[in-house]
Amino acid sequence: MERRNFLKVMAAGATIVAVNPSLIRGNLYADDGRLYTAYEKAQIVDASGNPIKVSALEKEVTYIFNYPYASTPCMLINLPEPTQQDITLKSEMGEEYIWKSGVGKERTVVAYSAICAHQLTHPTPNDSFIKYVPKSKPTMAYKKSGIIVCSSHMSAYDGGAGAKVLAGAASQPLAAVMLEVAADETIWAVGVLGSDKFQDYFRAFKPEFKEFYSGIAQAKQLVSISAKTVKLTEYSKEIIQY
Amino acid sequence: MKKVLTVLALASLLVGSVNGSENNDPRLELMKDMRTMLDSMEQIQRGGLYSSTDDMKAGVKKLQGTLNVLESEQIKVILPKDQVYAYKFAQKTASMLRLYSDDMIASIEAGRMDDALEDYTQLLKQCTSCHIRIRNW
Repeated sequence: MERRNFLKVMAAGATIVAVNPSLIRGNLYADDGRLYTAYEKAQIVDASGNPIKVSALEKEVTYIFNYPYASTPCMLINLPEPTQQDITLKSEMGEEYIWKSGVGKERTVVAYSAICAHQLTHPTPNDSFIKYVPKSKPTMAYKKSGIIVCSSHMSAYDGGAGAKVLAGAASQPLAAVMLEVAADETIWAVGVLGSDKFQDYFRAFKPEFKEFYSGIAQAKQLVSISAKTVKLTEYSKEIIQY
Repeated sequence: MKKVLTVLALASLLVGSVNGSENNDPRLELMKDMRTMLDSMEQIQRGGLYSSTDDMKAGVKKLQGTLNVLESEQIKVILPKDQVYAYKFAQKTASMLRLYSDDMIASIEAGRMDDALEDYTQLLKQCTSCHIRIRNW
Protein backbone atom coordinates (compact mmCIF):
# COMPACT_ATOMS: atom_id res chain seq x y z
CA MET A 1 0.00 0.00 0.00
CA GLU A 2 1.29 3.41 -0.86
CA ARG A 3 2.05 5.76 2.01
CA ARG A 4 -0.72 8.16 1.04
CA ASN A 5 -3.35 5.39 0.84
CA PHE A 6 -2.16 3.94 4.14
CA LEU A 7 -2.60 7.29 5.84
CA LYS A 8 -6.08 7.67 4.33
CA VAL A 9 -7.12 4.24 5.64
CA MET A 10 -5.74 5.02 9.10
CA ALA A 11 -7.51 8.39 9.23
CA ALA A 12 -10.82 6.85 8.15
CA GLY A 13 -10.48 4.08 10.77
CA ALA A 14 -9.67 6.54 13.52
CA THR A 15 -12.71 8.66 12.58
CA ILE A 16 -15.06 5.64 12.70
CA VAL A 17 -13.74 4.55 16.10
CA ALA A 18 -13.97 8.11 17.42
CA VAL A 19 -17.60 8.28 16.34
CA ASN A 20 -18.42 4.85 17.75
CA PRO A 21 -15.93 3.54 20.33
CA SER A 22 -17.68 0.17 20.71
CA LEU A 23 -16.34 -0.79 17.27
CA ILE A 24 -12.85 -1.01 18.72
CA ARG A 25 -13.84 -4.33 20.30
CA GLY A 26 -15.19 -5.67 17.03
CA ASN A 27 -18.72 -6.11 18.32
CA LEU A 28 -21.76 -3.95 17.90
CA TYR A 29 -24.80 -5.05 19.79
CA ALA A 30 -27.24 -2.28 18.98
CA ASP A 31 -27.93 -1.83 15.27
CA ASP A 32 -26.48 1.65 15.20
CA GLY A 33 -24.46 1.58 18.43
CA ARG A 34 -26.81 3.89 20.31
CA LEU A 35 -27.03 3.33 24.05
CA TYR A 36 -24.31 0.71 23.92
CA THR A 37 -21.24 1.11 26.12
CA ALA A 38 -18.35 -1.31 25.86
CA TYR A 39 -16.55 -2.07 29.12
CA GLU A 40 -13.58 -4.24 29.90
CA LYS A 41 -14.37 -7.83 29.09
CA ALA A 42 -14.85 -9.79 32.34
CA GLN A 43 -15.17 -13.52 32.75
CA ILE A 44 -18.08 -14.79 34.81
CA VAL A 45 -16.59 -16.89 37.61
CA ASP A 46 -17.92 -18.59 40.74
CA ALA A 47 -17.13 -17.57 44.32
CA SER A 48 -13.87 -19.55 44.21
CA GLY A 49 -12.79 -17.85 41.02
CA ASN A 50 -13.46 -20.80 38.70
CA PRO A 51 -15.02 -19.97 35.32
CA ILE A 52 -18.72 -20.78 35.10
CA LYS A 53 -19.76 -22.65 31.98
CA VAL A 54 -23.02 -21.77 30.32
CA SER A 55 -24.28 -25.37 30.59
CA ALA A 56 -23.73 -25.30 34.36
CA LEU A 57 -26.24 -22.51 34.96
CA GLU A 58 -29.37 -23.79 36.65
CA LYS A 59 -32.59 -22.93 34.89
CA GLU A 60 -34.72 -20.11 36.29
CA VAL A 61 -32.29 -19.26 39.08
CA THR A 62 -31.27 -15.64 39.65
CA TYR A 63 -27.49 -15.30 39.81
CA ILE A 64 -25.87 -12.01 40.81
CA PHE A 65 -22.59 -10.52 39.64
CA ASN A 66 -21.32 -6.96 39.80
CA TYR A 67 -20.56 -5.33 36.44
CA PRO A 68 -19.32 -3.03 34.98
CA TYR A 69 -18.63 -1.33 38.34
CA ALA A 70 -17.70 -3.02 41.62
CA SER A 71 -21.06 -2.03 43.12
CA THR A 72 -23.51 -2.33 40.22
CA PRO A 73 -25.37 -5.64 40.61
CA CYS A 74 -26.54 -7.58 37.58
CA MET A 75 -28.75 -10.63 37.20
CA LEU A 76 -27.68 -13.64 35.17
CA ILE A 77 -30.55 -15.96 34.29
CA ASN A 78 -30.88 -19.16 32.29
CA LEU A 79 -34.46 -18.90 31.05
CA PRO A 80 -36.67 -21.94 30.50
CA GLU A 81 -37.25 -21.07 26.83
CA PRO A 82 -35.24 -19.45 24.02
CA THR A 83 -35.45 -15.68 24.08
CA GLN A 84 -37.06 -13.62 21.37
CA GLN A 85 -34.74 -11.95 18.87
CA ASP A 86 -34.13 -8.43 17.62
CA ILE A 87 -36.41 -6.68 20.08
CA THR A 88 -36.78 -2.95 19.58
CA LEU A 89 -36.76 -1.17 22.93
CA LYS A 90 -37.08 2.43 23.97
CA SER A 91 -35.35 4.34 26.77
CA GLU A 92 -37.30 6.83 28.88
CA MET A 93 -35.70 9.58 26.80
CA GLY A 94 -37.28 8.05 23.69
CA GLU A 95 -34.10 6.59 22.19
CA GLU A 96 -34.71 3.33 20.37
CA TYR A 97 -32.24 0.47 20.45
CA ILE A 98 -32.23 -3.18 19.54
CA TRP A 99 -31.60 -6.06 21.91
CA LYS A 100 -30.42 -9.00 19.82
CA SER A 101 -31.15 -12.09 21.97
CA GLY A 102 -29.94 -14.31 24.78
CA VAL A 103 -26.77 -16.36 24.40
CA GLY A 104 -25.91 -20.05 24.65
CA LYS A 105 -26.89 -22.87 22.32
CA GLU A 106 -30.58 -22.27 22.90
CA ARG A 107 -30.39 -18.49 23.36
CA THR A 108 -31.69 -18.87 26.91
CA VAL A 109 -28.99 -17.09 28.90
CA VAL A 110 -29.50 -13.40 29.59
CA ALA A 111 -28.06 -10.77 31.90
CA TYR A 112 -29.54 -7.47 33.02
CA SER A 113 -28.73 -4.72 35.44
CA ALA A 114 -30.44 -5.53 38.74
CA ILE A 115 -31.03 -1.81 39.40
CA CYS A 116 -34.73 -1.24 38.84
CA ALA A 117 -35.40 1.40 36.20
CA HIS A 118 -38.17 2.90 38.36
CA GLN A 119 -36.63 3.87 41.71
CA LEU A 120 -33.28 2.06 41.62
CA THR A 121 -34.23 -0.82 43.90
CA HIS A 122 -31.39 -3.34 43.82
CA PRO A 123 -30.09 -6.36 45.71
CA THR A 124 -27.82 -5.72 48.68
CA PRO A 125 -26.14 -8.20 51.05
CA ASN A 126 -29.05 -7.50 53.43
CA ASP A 127 -32.03 -7.95 51.14
CA SER A 128 -33.38 -8.00 47.63
CA PHE A 129 -36.75 -6.91 46.30
CA ILE A 130 -35.85 -7.65 42.67
CA LYS A 131 -35.47 -11.08 41.10
CA TYR A 132 -36.53 -13.42 38.35
CA VAL A 133 -39.78 -15.17 39.28
CA PRO A 134 -39.84 -18.75 37.97
CA LYS A 135 -42.79 -19.86 35.83
CA SER A 136 -44.18 -22.04 38.62
CA LYS A 137 -44.33 -19.21 41.17
CA PRO A 138 -47.11 -16.60 41.13
CA THR A 139 -46.47 -12.88 41.34
CA MET A 140 -48.80 -9.99 42.11
CA ALA A 141 -46.98 -7.83 39.59
CA TYR A 142 -48.22 -9.50 36.40
CA LYS A 143 -50.69 -12.07 35.11
CA LYS A 144 -47.97 -14.61 34.33
CA SER A 145 -44.63 -15.56 35.82
CA GLY A 146 -41.30 -16.41 34.21
CA ILE A 147 -40.49 -12.70 34.38
CA ILE A 148 -38.32 -10.30 36.38
CA VAL A 149 -40.21 -8.52 39.17
CA CYS A 150 -39.24 -5.59 41.33
CA SER A 151 -41.43 -5.99 44.39
CA SER A 152 -40.79 -2.45 45.62
CA HIS A 153 -43.40 -0.89 43.33
CA MET A 154 -44.31 -3.98 41.29
CA SER A 155 -42.52 -3.30 38.04
CA ALA A 156 -42.40 -6.36 35.80
CA TYR A 157 -39.90 -6.96 33.00
CA ASP A 158 -39.75 -9.58 30.27
CA GLY A 159 -36.35 -11.25 30.59
CA GLY A 160 -36.91 -13.06 27.31
CA ALA A 161 -37.37 -9.83 25.40
CA GLY A 162 -34.58 -7.50 26.50
CA ALA A 163 -36.23 -6.74 29.85
CA LYS A 164 -39.06 -4.87 28.17
CA VAL A 165 -41.47 -3.36 30.71
CA LEU A 166 -44.59 -5.51 31.12
CA ALA A 167 -46.25 -3.76 34.05
CA GLY A 168 -45.70 -1.23 36.81
CA ALA A 169 -44.28 2.24 36.97
CA ALA A 170 -40.89 1.63 35.32
CA SER A 171 -40.52 3.89 32.31
CA GLN A 172 -37.85 1.92 30.49
CA PRO A 173 -36.36 -1.59 30.28
CA LEU A 174 -33.60 -2.75 32.57
CA ALA A 175 -30.21 -2.17 30.98
CA ALA A 176 -28.93 -5.37 29.38
CA VAL A 177 -25.48 -6.75 30.03
CA MET A 178 -24.04 -8.06 26.79
CA LEU A 179 -22.63 -11.54 27.15
CA GLU A 180 -20.39 -13.64 24.95
CA VAL A 181 -19.98 -17.40 25.20
CA ALA A 182 -16.57 -18.77 24.20
CA ALA A 183 -15.98 -22.10 22.47
CA ASP A 184 -15.19 -23.66 25.85
CA GLU A 185 -18.61 -22.50 27.11
CA THR A 186 -17.19 -19.88 29.45
CA ILE A 187 -19.22 -16.68 29.75
CA TRP A 188 -17.93 -13.14 29.37
CA ALA A 189 -19.58 -9.80 30.08
CA VAL A 190 -18.49 -7.22 27.52
CA GLY A 191 -20.72 -4.16 27.75
CA VAL A 192 -24.05 -2.62 28.66
CA LEU A 193 -26.92 -1.88 26.32
CA GLY A 194 -29.73 0.52 27.17
CA SER A 195 -30.18 3.37 29.61
CA ASP A 196 -28.30 2.15 32.67
CA LYS A 197 -29.07 4.62 35.53
CA PHE A 198 -25.61 3.98 37.02
CA GLN A 199 -24.91 7.66 37.74
CA ASP A 200 -28.28 8.12 39.49
CA TYR A 201 -27.50 4.99 41.49
CA PHE A 202 -24.05 6.27 42.54
CA ARG A 203 -25.56 9.57 43.67
CA ALA A 204 -28.47 8.00 45.56
CA PHE A 205 -26.74 5.25 47.51
CA LYS A 206 -23.55 6.88 48.79
CA PRO A 207 -24.23 5.91 52.45
CA GLU A 208 -24.87 2.33 51.40
CA PHE A 209 -21.55 2.22 49.52
CA LYS A 210 -19.78 3.26 52.70
CA GLU A 211 -21.38 0.32 54.46
CA PHE A 212 -20.78 -2.35 51.82
CA TYR A 213 -17.79 -1.14 49.74
CA SER A 214 -15.86 1.14 52.15
CA GLY A 215 -16.78 4.20 50.10
CA ILE A 216 -17.90 5.68 46.81
CA ALA A 217 -14.48 5.47 45.15
CA GLN A 218 -14.31 1.72 45.71
CA ALA A 219 -17.92 1.33 44.60
CA LYS A 220 -17.15 3.09 41.31
CA GLN A 221 -14.14 0.98 40.43
CA LEU A 222 -14.53 -0.73 37.09
CA VAL A 223 -14.66 -4.51 37.12
CA SER A 224 -11.61 -6.03 35.54
CA ILE A 225 -10.70 -9.53 34.36
CA SER A 226 -13.49 -11.44 36.14
CA ALA A 227 -16.84 -10.98 37.87
CA LYS A 228 -17.72 -13.21 40.80
CA THR A 229 -21.17 -14.68 40.49
CA VAL A 230 -23.36 -16.25 43.16
CA LYS A 231 -26.99 -17.22 43.46
CA LEU A 232 -29.21 -14.43 44.74
CA THR A 233 -30.05 -16.66 47.72
CA GLU A 234 -26.37 -16.52 48.67
CA TYR A 235 -25.91 -12.84 47.80
CA SER A 236 -28.79 -11.47 49.93
CA LYS A 237 -29.79 -12.57 53.41
CA GLU A 238 -33.44 -11.98 52.68
CA ILE A 239 -35.37 -12.09 49.41
CA ILE A 240 -38.75 -10.42 49.21
CA GLN A 241 -41.04 -11.22 46.34
CA TYR A 242 -44.72 -10.42 45.92
CA MET B 1 -81.34 15.25 89.98
CA LYS B 2 -80.32 11.70 90.69
CA LYS B 3 -81.26 10.75 87.15
CA VAL B 4 -79.22 13.61 85.69
CA LEU B 5 -76.17 12.60 87.72
CA THR B 6 -76.54 8.97 86.61
CA VAL B 7 -76.76 10.01 82.95
CA LEU B 8 -73.72 12.28 83.33
CA ALA B 9 -71.75 9.50 85.01
CA LEU B 10 -72.67 7.02 82.27
CA ALA B 11 -71.83 9.54 79.55
CA SER B 12 -68.44 10.29 81.05
CA LEU B 13 -67.73 6.56 81.36
CA LEU B 14 -68.71 6.08 77.70
CA VAL B 15 -66.52 8.95 76.51
CA GLY B 16 -63.68 7.65 78.65
CA SER B 17 -63.91 4.18 77.17
CA VAL B 18 -64.04 5.54 73.60
CA ASN B 19 -60.97 7.68 74.27
CA GLY B 20 -59.28 4.72 75.88
CA SER B 21 -59.85 2.49 72.88
CA GLU B 22 -58.69 5.28 70.56
CA ASN B 23 -55.52 5.66 72.60
CA ASN B 24 -54.86 1.96 72.17
CA ASP B 25 -55.42 2.01 68.44
CA PRO B 26 -51.95 1.60 66.92
CA ARG B 27 -53.11 3.25 63.71
CA LEU B 28 -53.62 6.48 65.59
CA GLU B 29 -50.09 6.14 66.86
CA LEU B 30 -48.92 5.75 63.27
CA MET B 31 -50.84 8.86 62.22
CA LYS B 32 -49.17 10.74 65.07
CA ASP B 33 -45.76 9.43 63.99
CA MET B 34 -46.45 10.45 60.39
CA ARG B 35 -47.25 13.99 61.52
CA THR B 36 -44.02 14.01 63.54
CA MET B 37 -42.14 12.80 60.45
CA LEU B 38 -43.64 15.62 58.41
CA ASP B 39 -42.63 18.13 61.09
CA SER B 40 -39.12 16.71 61.23
CA MET B 41 -38.71 16.89 57.45
CA GLU B 42 -39.88 20.51 57.50
CA GLN B 43 -37.41 21.26 60.27
CA ILE B 44 -34.53 19.68 58.33
CA GLN B 45 -35.49 21.63 55.22
CA ARG B 46 -35.77 24.86 57.16
CA GLY B 47 -32.37 24.19 58.70
CA GLY B 48 -30.91 23.61 55.26
CA LEU B 49 -32.42 26.78 53.82
CA TYR B 50 -31.49 28.96 56.81
CA SER B 51 -28.03 27.40 57.26
CA SER B 52 -28.92 26.10 60.70
CA THR B 53 -27.19 22.81 61.33
CA ASP B 54 -28.79 22.74 64.80
CA ASP B 55 -32.25 22.72 63.20
CA MET B 56 -31.17 20.00 60.80
CA LYS B 57 -29.78 17.84 63.60
CA ALA B 58 -32.90 18.40 65.73
CA GLY B 59 -35.06 17.39 62.75
CA VAL B 60 -33.04 14.21 62.28
CA LYS B 61 -33.38 13.35 65.98
CA LYS B 62 -37.14 13.88 65.77
CA LEU B 63 -37.35 11.77 62.61
CA GLN B 64 -35.33 8.92 64.07
CA GLY B 65 -37.62 8.86 67.09
CA THR B 66 -40.43 7.69 64.82
CA LEU B 67 -38.59 4.85 63.13
CA ASN B 68 -38.66 2.15 65.79
CA VAL B 69 -42.30 1.26 65.14
CA LEU B 70 -41.82 1.18 61.38
CA GLU B 71 -38.77 -1.04 61.72
CA SER B 72 -40.50 -3.49 64.06
CA GLU B 73 -43.06 -6.24 63.43
CA GLN B 74 -45.66 -3.86 64.89
CA ILE B 75 -45.84 -2.31 61.44
CA LYS B 76 -48.10 -5.20 60.39
CA VAL B 77 -50.80 -3.99 62.77
CA ILE B 78 -50.80 -0.42 61.56
CA LEU B 79 -50.62 -0.82 57.80
CA PRO B 80 -53.83 -0.64 55.75
CA LYS B 81 -55.33 -4.14 55.55
CA ASP B 82 -54.67 -4.55 51.83
CA GLN B 83 -51.01 -3.60 52.31
CA VAL B 84 -50.08 -5.72 55.33
CA TYR B 85 -48.31 -8.22 53.06
CA ALA B 86 -45.95 -5.40 52.03
CA TYR B 87 -44.68 -4.74 55.56
CA LYS B 88 -41.15 -5.72 54.53
CA PHE B 89 -41.18 -2.82 52.11
CA ALA B 90 -42.19 -0.40 54.88
CA GLN B 91 -39.44 -1.82 57.09
CA LYS B 92 -36.91 -1.38 54.30
CA THR B 93 -38.03 2.22 53.87
CA ALA B 94 -37.55 2.83 57.59
CA SER B 95 -34.04 1.35 57.47
CA MET B 96 -33.17 3.58 54.50
CA LEU B 97 -34.51 6.62 56.42
CA ARG B 98 -32.19 5.68 59.27
CA LEU B 99 -29.25 5.20 56.90
CA TYR B 100 -29.69 8.59 55.17
CA SER B 101 -30.41 10.45 58.40
CA ASP B 102 -27.32 8.96 60.09
CA ASP B 103 -25.32 9.99 57.04
CA MET B 104 -26.78 13.48 57.23
CA ILE B 105 -25.44 13.91 60.77
CA ALA B 106 -22.02 12.59 59.69
CA SER B 107 -22.02 14.94 56.68
CA ILE B 108 -23.00 17.97 58.79
CA GLU B 109 -20.30 17.21 61.33
CA ALA B 110 -17.73 16.84 58.57
CA GLY B 111 -18.87 20.14 57.04
CA ARG B 112 -20.04 18.44 53.81
CA MET B 113 -23.27 20.39 53.39
CA ASP B 114 -23.79 19.29 49.78
CA ASP B 115 -23.85 15.69 50.98
CA ALA B 116 -26.17 16.59 53.86
CA LEU B 117 -28.65 18.23 51.48
CA GLU B 118 -28.40 15.24 49.13
CA ASP B 119 -29.30 13.08 52.13
CA TYR B 120 -32.36 15.28 52.66
CA THR B 121 -33.37 14.69 49.02
CA GLN B 122 -33.02 10.95 49.51
CA LEU B 123 -35.04 11.06 52.73
CA LEU B 124 -37.85 12.81 50.92
CA LYS B 125 -37.61 10.27 48.11
CA GLN B 126 -37.98 7.44 50.61
CA CYS B 127 -41.10 9.08 52.06
CA THR B 128 -42.76 9.46 48.66
CA SER B 129 -41.65 6.01 47.54
CA CYS B 130 -43.38 4.43 50.53
CA HIS B 131 -46.50 6.53 50.09
CA ILE B 132 -46.69 5.52 46.41
CA ARG B 133 -46.53 1.88 47.45
CA ILE B 134 -48.57 1.77 50.61
CA ARG B 135 -51.16 4.38 49.76
CA ASN B 136 -51.57 3.17 46.17
CA TRP B 137 -50.79 6.51 44.62
